Amino acid sequence: MTGYAPGAIVLWAICALFILIPLASFLAYSFLPVVDNAIVYEPTLDNFANLFSNSSYRTTFLRTMLLAFEVSVFNFVLGYATAYFIWRRPPAWRNVLVIALAIPLLMSYIIKIYAMRGVLGTNGLLNSALLAFGLADEPVSALLFNLTAVRITLSVVLLPFMVLPICVALERITPQVLQAAADLGASEIQTFRWVILPLSLPGAIVGAMFTFVLASGDFLAPELVGGIEGFTFGRLVFSQFGLAFNWPLGAALSVLLLVVALAVISVARRLSNPRWQT
Amino acid sequence: MAAPDADSRHEVAGDRTPLLRIRGLGVRFQDFEAIRPLDLDVLNGEFLTVLGPSGSGKTTLLRTIAGFQQPTAGRIEFDGRDIADLPINRRPFNTVFQDYALFPHMTVRENVAFGLRVRGIARATRDARVEDALGIVELEDLGNRYPTQLSGGQQQRTALARAMICEPRLILLDEPLAALDATLRRQMQKFLKVVQRQSGITFVFVTHDQSEAITVSDRICVMRSGRIEQIGTPRDLYYRPRSRFVAAFFGASNILEPCRIESTGEAVTMVSTPFGTMSVDGPLPQVREGLALAVRPEALVPASGDACNRIGCEVVSVSFVGSETITELRHPQTRHVLTMKTRSNPSARHPAVGSHLEVGFDAAACALVTGAQE
Repeated sequence: MTGYAPGAIVLWAICALFILIPLASFLAYSFLPVVDNAIVYEPTLDNFANLFSNSSYRTTFLRTMLLAFEVSVFNFVLGYATAYFIWRRPPAWRNVLVIALAIPLLMSYIIKIYAMRGVLGTNGLLNSALLAFGLADEPVSALLFNLTAVRITLSVVLLPFMVLPICVALERITPQVLQAAADLGASEIQTFRWVILPLSLPGAIVGAMFTFVLASGDFLAPELVGGIEGFTFGRLVFSQFGLAFNWPLGAALSVLLLVVALAVISVARRLSNPRWQT
Repeated sequence: MAAPDADSRHEVAGDRTPLLRIRGLGVRFQDFEAIRPLDLDVLNGEFLTVLGPSGSGKTTLLRTIAGFQQPTAGRIEFDGRDIADLPINRRPFNTVFQDYALFPHMTVRENVAFGLRVRGIARATRDARVEDALGIVELEDLGNRYPTQLSGGQQQRTALARAMICEPRLILLDEPLAALDATLRRQMQKFLKVVQRQSGITFVFVTHDQSEAITVSDRICVMRSGRIEQIGTPRDLYYRPRSRFVAAFFGASNILEPCRIESTGEAVTMVSTPFGTMSVDGPLPQVREGLALAVRPEALVPASGDACNRIGCEVVSVSFVGSETITELRHPQTRHVLTMKTRSNPSARHPAVGSHLEVGFDAAACALVTGAQE
């Protein structure tokens, strides 16, 4: 432990206090059984056995993973297109658009979800638009309180997490490199395919990772716009803590979610750090 | 030409037809004229350097030829064909960029292959040509490295190979050596010259370094404030500058002024200076106002019997600085100080300070210059 500056020790202490200790405590909870609504301090693997044997937990888990995957793929395409559009604007415009995109990140998450509820509801913006363009004869109620509503809401709310890393990656491509490609005879499509896309892909992978991790653990959006159909793993965890008062089972479910998140992060880390970047 | 052996090094290789003809080319940014309408011919197979201080328009000129900058006036013809409206990717020549602009996600081999890949050249042909190009720039062993794993000189050579791979007849080089240290720079200058000579590709090279320009070029085009100040061989520009600016850009000169033309003969012009009447070879400047006679310090020698231009001086100081000896001389009538630079000689006796010394220079080793220095 020689050579550690006092500042580094303070930082480690803060990390331990606010991140490592809470994580360790809920990890510890996941090994405790509950008898007659009371936690018994005798470690067991019952919670994990329960987790893996219960088929409804399993389907909820798989449904949630699929949901997070769908949102990630959809946002990958939408986010890349948005970032590319922003990047192609003149610099002054670019900054305005990036700021406009980042502003929602400063807003309360619940307010954003309620806003989406307003957009998707029977009297909402989306229905008004459908009616105005003659795409529907009467308001569509199927836009809210189902899994699709969760998909749309999560896509919209998580879009900045996809767009911003791609913007950063695109911003790092120097104009000279693009000029070099044109100078060597590349068409715009060839330049995109062989230069722009590979250089910005690491950013897109980071964005997809953010989206997947955030979507897979979310419980507020499914709770508020998902209805019965939109029951996700996050809501399951929430119900164990908030409704069933079975903290140890909730902790065990969270551990599974944490493992998935760590796996996704490590894969994304590998993919987004290609050999040429070192 | 000054010397009888005419310095064959600076003779233009290849034929003398212009590969690139620039006529009335101008570039204007709002109310700033980066390039005032100018004409320039780049000859087939030559190494032409565009030299100038920063802000002289040299890089803008190169970028306009490459197609990165739209001209506001004039035409650019390549091989007899107007290319002003041709998009960058259809122009039949390639560029080496100042910061190399290598593709960071591609290996050296992939970078070099890029031009062939976009043209859909078959893999086998492509690989063979890439190996050839890597051989020319001596990077065979580093083909699988990424640009971040290369030194500056290696990146430079990768950029050169990448620009050469499609066998263009013209390569534009935008201050390609600016980022290299002095030793490497000198190596690369020699290397560029050799590659240019052997490949026969016409090079248009931009730099602000006059010694670099003299080392590598067949011809130098000196630019200043968006205009071409003078074009010529390095020897021409050095010994026969047409303006005080060009004279000063290539190093120190003795400026004999004011000058007045007395008579013009077939080859020799007689001019009167405060130091006496001197004879000058070569063309007369169009402007006759503010004339001066510029003589390089090393063109000044202790006068022998047949020197046509002679000045009697008093020795002020003699400094031995290694390979050269610098003598300062005062002209007794005008109190003007001249500098003479001679090759040091271990057995030579220096003239004593205060003694009288007759110095002279050749009619071909001086030039009439005009204009302001800065």
